[in-house]
Amino acid sequence: MWFDDCSLLTGFNMLWQQLANGIAIGSVYALISLGLTMVYGILRILHVAHAGIYALGAYVGWFSFRLVGDFWVSLLFGMAGAAVAGYLVERFLYSPLLHLPRIAPLIASIGLFIALEEAFRIVAGPHTLTYNARIGLGDLSIGSFKLTETQILILLVTVVILIVLWTFLTRTRIGLAMRACAMDAETTSSFGVNVGRIIAINFILGSAMAGAAGVLIGVYDNQVWPTMGSIPAYKALAIVVLGGLGNIPGTVVASIVVGLSETFFIGVLAIPFPRDAVAFIAMILVLMFRPYGLLGKA
Amino acid sequence: MLEVRGLEVSYGEFLALKGIGFTVHEGELVTIIGANGAGKSTILRTVMGLVKCRRGEILFKGRDISATPAHQRALLGISLVPEGRKIFPDLTVTENLLMGAYTQQDRKTIDAGMEEAFKLFPRLRERQDQVGKTLSGGEQQMLAIGRALMSRPRLILMDEISLGLMPIYVEETFKVIQNLHRQGVTILLVEQNARKALQAADRGYVLETGEIVLNDTSRNLAHDPLVKKAYLGGA
Repeated sequence: MWFDDCSLLTGFNMLWQQLANGIAIGSVYALISLGLTMVYGILRILHVAHAGIYALGAYVGWFSFRLVGDFWVSLLFGMAGAAVAGYLVERFLYSPLLHLPRIAPLIASIGLFIALEEAFRIVAGPHTLTYNARIGLGDLSIGSFKLTETQILILLVTVVILIVLWTFLTRTRIGLAMRACAMDAETTSSFGVNVGRIIAINFILGSAMAGAAGVLIGVYDNQVWPTMGSIPAYKALAIVVLGGLGNIPGTVVASIVVGLSETFFIGVLAIPFPRDAVAFIAMILVLMFRPYGLLGKA
Repeated sequence: MLEVRGLEVSYGEFLALKGIGFTVHEGELVTIIGANGAGKSTILRTVMGLVKCRRGEILFKGRDISATPAHQRALLGISLVPEGRKIFPDLTVTENLLMGAYTQQDRKTIDAGMEEAFKLFPRLRERQDQVGKTLSGGEQQMLAIGRALMSRPRLILMDEISLGLMPIYVEETFKVIQNLHRQGVTILLVEQNARKALQAADRGYVLETGEIVLNDTSRNLAHDPLVKKAYLGGA
C-alpha cells in the first residue's frame, strides 16, 4: 500500500494528483457519453457507432494537425469532421430504419462501428499514430501538486463545452424544443417543431462533442489508433445507464464518478484489477439499488 | 374553415375511420360525440397530421393539407389540446407555454400570449416555475389549453378535455371553452361527455365505430331519441 513506502504528505499529494487524473478522464467520458444519452433520449436507440465517431474525430484532428500544425485548429476540425459524420449517420443510416423495431438500427450501428474501425485501419494504417501537439498552455504546479498541460486542456475544453451546451438547451428556442422532443416528439411536432431537424441538430452536437473527446484523448495519451473507440464504446454505454438513460446532468455526474473510481481503485488503492471493469461494476451496483440511474427518480 | 371529405384511416388492418366527412365554419364550436373507441381521437389526430390518412381530403381554408406534415399544419394555424393533456413533464409551466408559442417569432406577441394565458388561468401564474408533472390533473388541463392558445391558432382541436377531471374542473373548463368561442375562436371539440359538449356547441356530429351516423344542431341532437338513449343516459 502507498503509505508503506511514502510519507503521509506525499500520500496526500498523490491523492490530489489522482483526483486531477480522475476528473480529467471523467471529463472525456462525459464528452463521449453526452452524445449517446442525447441520441437515446430522442430516438430511443443505442448509438454504438458513436464511439466510431469519437475515433474519427481523433483521426481528423490528427490529420489536420499534420497539415496545419496548430492544435486549436485541429481540435475544431476534429469536432467539425465528427459533426458532419454524425449528421450523415443519422440521415443515411438511422433515419431509414426508424420505422423498424429498435433492434434494426442497433445492428446497423454495430455494423457501422466495425466498418469504421476497419476504414481507419485501411486509410491511416494499423499502427498507432502520435499526436504530439504543442498546445501552448504549459503545466501548472502548486507545491508538489501538478496539473499537466493536457489535463488543463481537457478541463478547460470540457467546461467550455458543457457551459455552451447547457446554455443552448436552457436558453434557446431550439434547445427548449430539443428537450421537449426527448419527452414527447409527437406532441412537440404539433406545436410546429420540425422533429427531423431537431434530431439532426442532436446528432451534430453530440458528435461534435465526441470528436472533441477523440482529439483530447489523442493528445492526452499522445496516440491515435484504429480501435481506440472499442473500450469507450461499451464504457460510455455503462455511463449512460448509470446516469439514467437520456438524463444529461446525470450523465455528466456518472462520467466523473466513473473517472474518479477508476483512478482511485487502481491508482490509490493499487487493487490489481482491470481498470475498465470499474464502470461495469459501478453500473451493476447502481442497477441493483437505483435502477433509474444516479440522478434519476423512481 | 375546415372541411373533411371521405376520410379513411387505418391502423394496420383495422379501419378506424370509414370515409367520414364534416365541416367546421369560421367561428363555430362544433362537437363530435361518440362512445369510447368510435374513432373520435383519430379524427383530431388526423386533422393535426399526427396520423396519416389512407384516403380522403382535409381542406383547411380551402387548401388540401392531407399530405402536409404536422409541424407545417401548426404554422397554418391549427392547434391541438391532446387527449391525456400531454404536458411536457420536466419542463416548467412557462416552458410548456413557450413550446406552445413555438410558431411565434415576435417576442412581444409571445409575452402578450403568456400574459393572456395567466389571466385566463391565474393558477398557472402561481405555478409558473413548477415542472409540468407536479401539477394536478385540473392544472395540467388548464396548461394544455393555455399552451394550445399560445400559437394564436385559427382552429383549436380539443380532445377529451373533461376526461379524468373532477366535476368542478369540468365546469370550469367548459366555461373557458365557451368564452373562447364567444371571442370568435373556431373550435372542434371531441367529447365522451355528450351532455356538456352539446350544451356548449353550435352543431354536432355523432360518430359510431368510424362512421358519422347523425349530424345536426346541438339543440336537435340533444332531443334526438337515439342520442338521448345512447349518450345522455336514457330518458
